Amino acid sequence: MRAAAADRTQTSSLTYLLCAIAWFVPGAGHLWLGRRQKGVVFLVALSLMFVFGLWLEGRLFPFDMTQPLVALSAIADLGVGGPYFIARLMGVGRGDVVAITYEYGNTFIIAAGLLNMLVVLDVFDIAKGRK
Amino acid sequence: MTSHLGLMIVFSLFVSIVFAVLTRDDPKEQIVFGARLFGGFIGAGVLIGWLLYPLPL
Repeated sequence: MRAAAADRTQTSSLTYLLCAIAWFVPGAGHLWLGRRQKGVVFLVALSLMFVFGLWLEGRLFPFDMTQPLVALSAIADLGVGGPYFIARLMGVGRGDVVAITYEYGNTFIIAAGLLNMLVVLDVFDIAKGRK
Repeated sequence: MTSHLGLMIVFSLFVSIVFAVLTRDDPKEQIVFGARLFGGFIGAGVLIGWLLYPLPL
């Protein structure tokens, strides 16, 4: 069941605002558009995935442009939005390179960010009336 | 948790849930598609693991 607001085509500025909100809080864009079930699932699944990655000693990569793969990983990490900044403020996500789960943790964090980018694109399509 | 299989299952579960909810609107379809994706991830992981088994490290 969808709220009527979800089917309305949004104005351009509101669309970009929605995308920003959807990026900053995973699932918030869908919640805003009345797709409550999807929003709640994204909020829980992506946040948990990110936290799980941190718990597995994953690293929040720095924006080091001299190392392209590190920079790309940093962009992917940033894709999760608000949880990324909260983790930075809390001083977690330094990563323990000798931990046996280090690479697994990185994979969880990067995948959470990339999946949230897809969620933002979905919000854009819904707001534009394409879905 | 340090088991490769366990972590693969958890990762597959998260990704399957997000993809299923993202690409399907009907809850029933989401469950069916999510289960298929999850099974595909695990099946492919185990299959590729066995294919790599004879290779020397």
